[in-house]
Amino acid sequence: MENTLKKSVSRPITVGREGLLLITLIILCIVFASQSEFFLSSRNLTTVLRNSVDLSVICAGMTIIIILGGIDVSVGGILAVSAVMIGRAYQYGMPDIIVIPIGLLTGAALGYGNGLLIAKTRVPPIVATLGSMYIFTATLFIVIGGVWISGLPNSLSFLVLGSFAGIPSGVFVIAVVYGGSWTILRRTPWGQRVVAIGCDEKSAQLAGISVVRTKIQAYALLGLFAGVAALLYVARLRNVEVNIGTNIALEAIAATILGGANIRGGVGSLLGALLGVIFIKITQNGLVLIGVSSLWETVVIGGLLIAVLAIDAFETRRTS
Amino acid sequence: MKDPLNQRMFFLTALLIAAGLLGAFLSPYFLQASTVTYLLQYVPVLGVLGMAQTLIILSGGPGIDLSIGATMSIVGLAIAGLAANGIPILLACAIGIGLGGMLGAVNGFLVCILHVPSLMATLATFFTYSGLALALTGGAPIGGIPEWFGSLAQGRFLGIPNHMWIVFLPLAVVLHVILSHTRLGSHIYAAGNDERAAFLSGVKVWHLRFALYCISGMVAALAAIMTISWFQAARADAGDGMELLSVTVAVLGGAHIFGGIGRLSGTILAVLIVTTLQVGLQLANVSQAWQLATIGILLIGSVITDNITEDHWRARVRKRSNQS
Repeated sequence: MENTLKKSVSRPITVGREGLLLITLIILCIVFASQSEFFLSSRNLTTVLRNSVDLSVICAGMTIIIILGGIDVSVGGILAVSAVMIGRAYQYGMPDIIVIPIGLLTGAALGYGNGLLIAKTRVPPIVATLGSMYIFTATLFIVIGGVWISGLPNSLSFLVLGSFAGIPSGVFVIAVVYGGSWTILRRTPWGQRVVAIGCDEKSAQLAGISVVRTKIQAYALLGLFAGVAALLYVARLRNVEVNIGTNIALEAIAATILGGANIRGGVGSLLGALLGVIFIKITQNGLVLIGVSSLWETVVIGGLLIAVLAIDAFETRRTS
Repeated sequence: MKDPLNQRMFFLTALLIAAGLLGAFLSPYFLQASTVTYLLQYVPVLGVLGMAQTLIILSGGPGIDLSIGATMSIVGLAIAGLAANGIPILLACAIGIGLGGMLGAVNGFLVCILHVPSLMATLATFFTYSGLALALTGGAPIGGIPEWFGSLAQGRFLGIPNHMWIVFLPLAVVLHVILSHTRLGSHIYAAGNDERAAFLSGVKVWHLRFALYCISGMVAALAAIMTISWFQAARADAGDGMELLSVTVAVLGGAHIFGGIGRLSGTILAVLIVTTLQVGLQLANVSQAWQLATIGILLIGSVITDNITEDHWRARVRKRSNQS
């Protein structure tokens, strides 16, 4: 028991999972490329990349939360409320230098609220965030009133739509977010605390870790990432839709689980999660290109999630 | 009054009266006899779903069924589709209940045999089922339900909707008797209270939970049948939001989210509270968004108070045992 625990803490990235994901991804790409010649064009791949930037950013935070042993199904709501705040701020004519902190702070504050609820009152994270998701959705409806916010300035668009030295700028955004998250998670005491709580909350508490504070900080961090994603979303589309963020929580959870995170906490991989995001986005894009209705996206991702959960379960049963 | 569950019932009754007063305050149309009929029209669908959810939560694990609403949507579409293709509606309903049981068995398989955490498993099936419902129909409702079938949910007997008499009350009585007067019921509580102790005393914990997931699917099918009869059509989004609502009424009704504690009567009171609030807000022409927010706040509030009262209760028990 001690041995397996030690193994899972010191070597959380299973090479097998990421390698497997990469191979599946390549096979998937070959299939799509053989069915549609447009698939491998640089224009299409850039579009896929641009579409995956917001999800990737959220997924980095979601990985940390799942490693912590929690879950947050309200990230879509946080993204939506932050995006609405950003949109409204732009409409009042505020400059970027004010709008950016507004977006980030809104996200972090909402995440902090979630964390407070979960850590202080010990409400199970799924129930707490389901509840707050409905409150966030309601807030969105009340503020936005069923009308799109559109025609927003393009001053931040270079973050997603631009390119630097021939490389789309989304790559740099993702690199910064994942580099930062990896450093926080694997190279700081705070990251160690997150992993410890995810492995065994009681022992972590007994070892003197402030579980409540770490949890609140982790949820606030996810909220902050959702705020970043909201900024990138507005920068990309320059409007705020009424149904913004409805599916992003599932996609983020699915990508993280696909990438090898264990829903029971303690184990997870940022690189795997990123591969998971790419996998999901490539699937969505490829299905549309080969002529499958986009309505099937949810079915495919849900089915994929079930399959991965089942495979994981078989694997744990075999090893234990 | 020492028993926290009795306290809960007292609290819920007070909350129900408060919700009624709020409705009367918000809208002049609320305090009419027709409001009761209107209100009871909504109760059976949420009521049966809430009871199924309560059973799943009670049996512990921790158990939860987030796919209950999506199952309801997909079964509704299947029944309407069969009926539209000339299969007698009653046979279609029977097939629908079977289908519901099978969809529930998928959850049961994932949770009880593969031991995937129920939250994750049912979240995955929730998205798969609701995605399927939308993808197979393209979002278009399916009609073609024989008119006489509408009498189930549209007809009334003694001023109370028929589906209240035919579906909700019998199910409530049966489940209540099972839960509080049979060995099966005490097994459910035992599994929720202490899985290991229950297992060691011979309760087949995981078999029991598997059966409950199947029952949850079948109950979702009953909810679908009532909805079809009511609206004379099946929609892909018929069960949207029902997963949250059913968890809300179960938890508000006093079911502890980790199992073992709770009562069906609490859930039914909670259903009445939620429905009264919804109808009151509707009559007062308050927007849908506020209704969502109210339910979200109610859910979070009820779990918080639940935890706080439980802490108090534990502290009191500990104090008493220290004194003696």
